[in-house]
Amino acid sequence: MQALRQVILDWLDDNYHFGDAAKVVRDDQMSFLQGGVLDSLGFVQLVLFIEKTFGMKINRKELSPKNFDSMGKIMAYLLSHPDYVGPR
Amino acid sequence: MKPLWEPTSASSSQLAEFARFVGQSSWEALSAWSLSPEFWATFVRWSGLVVEGALEPVRVGHEVETARFFPSLRLSYVENLLAAGADSDVALVGRDESGTRVTLTRAELRDRVRRLAAGLRARGVLSGDRVVAVARNTVETVVACLGACALGATWSSTSPDLGAGSLHDRFAPLAPTVLMTAGAYAYQGAGRPIADKMAVVATNLPSLRLVVALDEAALQIEGAVAMAELERAEPLAAFPRLPFDQPLFIVFSSGTTGPPKCIVHGAGGTLVEHVKEHRLHGDLRSGDRLYFQTSVGWMMWNWQLSALASGATVVLRDGSVSFPDDDALWRLCAEERVTVFGTSPTYLQYCRDAGIVPRQRNLDLSSLREVWSTGSILSPAVHAWATSAVGDLPVQSLSGGTDILGCFFLGAPTRPVWSGELSSVSLGLDVRVAEPGPDGIGELVCASPFPSRPLGLVGDDGGRFFDAYFSQRPGMWTHGDFVELTSRGTAKIHGRSDGILNVRGVRIGPAEIYAILEGMPNLAATMAVEQRAADEPGGSRLVLLVVLAEGTLDRPLMLRIKKELSQRGSMAHVPSVIWQLSALPTTRSGKRSERAARDVLDGKPASNRDALSNPEVLDELAALATTTTTAAT
Repeated sequence: MQALRQVILDWLDDNYHFGDAAKVVRDDQMSFLQGGVLDSLGFVQLVLFIEKTFGMKINRKELSPKNFDSMGKIMAYLLSHPDYVGPR
Repeated sequence: MKPLWEPTSASSSQLAEFARFVGQSSWEALSAWSLSPEFWATFVRWSGLVVEGALEPVRVGHEVETARFFPSLRLSYVENLLAAGADSDVALVGRDESGTRVTLTRAELRDRVRRLAAGLRARGVLSGDRVVAVARNTVETVVACLGACALGATWSSTSPDLGAGSLHDRFAPLAPTVLMTAGAYAYQGAGRPIADKMAVVATNLPSLRLVVALDEAALQIEGAVAMAELERAEPLAAFPRLPFDQPLFIVFSSGTTGPPKCIVHGAGGTLVEHVKEHRLHGDLRSGDRLYFQTSVGWMMWNWQLSALASGATVVLRDGSVSFPDDDALWRLCAEERVTVFGTSPTYLQYCRDAGIVPRQRNLDLSSLREVWSTGSILSPAVHAWATSAVGDLPVQSLSGGTDILGCFFLGAPTRPVWSGELSSVSLGLDVRVAEPGPDGIGELVCASPFPSRPLGLVGDDGGRFFDAYFSQRPGMWTHGDFVELTSRGTAKIHGRSDGILNVRGVRIGPAEIYAILEGMPNLAATMAVEQRAADEPGGSRLVLLVVLAEGTLDRPLMLRIKKELSQRGSMAHVPSVIWQLSALPTTRSGKRSERAARDVLDGKPASNRDALSNPEVLDELAALATTTTTAAT
């Protein structure tokens, strides 16, 4: 889990928070949308990054706050995805 | 290859009506005839614009640099915007993220503009004064703009998210007498106060005589007067009609060197060009409802505002494009019965990547008849996707820019739409390809005078204006784009020919980036380059090349650079990748050559390699571009 969390934090740092991602994402439960971590356009960029990095396809119907609105939800979604082969 | 869309009932369009009026039976004949000065006088007569004085002479002078149009004509830009339509027609619809809805009828808008203009005049605002605004895309801002412009004042606006330093850099050269400002704005459902920032900006503009609060939050600024207070004045009896070249808008454009250019556009040129584009190319008329996704800081805000002169209702929306739902803009189009939706390749690509297919959503988009897209190049893939995702209607690509406050290319009701192409050259503009290569691609130039050529630059004796647009080819306007004109009369834009960046549809001058990074520890030199990248929103990405005083570029330094650019510039200033070089490609005269670097990053031989003092750096860059992946950043 820690390795996957770090991949996502690094992406957040590279693209949105520039070194502050670990501080901005206070815990695995905080809402990315409400907490100002990402907006909807950012979610799409994150999903494209995940697809490219891990060679998987995410169904766009599953691209919802239910699956992607916190670090915990993203990790749970990916780790349960049948095509996911990235770090755990 | 088939077109994405073909016209079916174009004979009832205003373009067809105008062609019949002037006796030109084909698009080709009309285009050719439109290059004569007579076209502009005929269009002014046909369109019914409210003017006084003589239409002759149409033009004085033959040089693009100096020719003047309609020197004997007087008009009011505002009067023309407000003249169209019945009193009860809805002129403006204002929406925000929270769903709040405000409307103004034509009569209400006229009354508010007349009152505000009178209130401003009572406070000493005169023709020629410069009014600057930091504003949201709301009904209030339109009233503010028209109230100021009605007096002959010049309007210049930016969006509220710019930093105090950037606002000062833009406004200080203008020596404005009036600042109109919001005190807060909403984004993603959260309020963001700016009153403190604006108080600092106001303090640092010694020319200011009046600060007008566009909302309640701005009343915290010391000395600010509520706009509603000014609107208590007795309405202005008539709008003063002023010379055709009366300054109207000042917009900002950054280059590869120096501070942003403050480009002055005239009232007559702006009005005639916009009405021509809206009516002949866009077929806008009474009954249309135009929504263009823009902030007040982009020239498309000024452009869409002019649609009032064609009788259309202008729909405004303030806030994030994806809040409260990812299909918020499409929902707006459905709810407001929008007939023309203006957007960008970045937004359409976002919809594609997010799986937002408007026709598959439970939205009634039956009123929509066209989608317009501008800001960057609409790639064939996104163009085709958008056409199929929206429905059986034309998705038109538009291209022009801040420099001309209008379009060189756009759609036309009588022309088919081809994937990845701009359907037509804007009538009356003598657009050509200068020095085309074997592939037909060359510099976009305009070889004859046109009314919407800017009047000049603020604080310039004419030298910088000439250098920017004419020095490469005296007698022609050189726009700074690479273009290809196809045998079927369409056009393809192939990116900038100079070093200007277009990042996700936002135009950025490398000079802005260099100014922010100057003096940052261990950064000896920097170069910002736009690289083609089909998968990126807008079809390109920003690459920053750095030379360090010592050591190797590491992750902490990369993040510090990005943070500095995001805080002192904007998110659009943040590069996708940062690469270290031993030196930057430099010409023998000592100038950085962004063009050489961009050629190499796009996989092409550098066109000016022989002119460089250190061409071996290009090989270093080519090797870096080949071996370094985005993930490595």
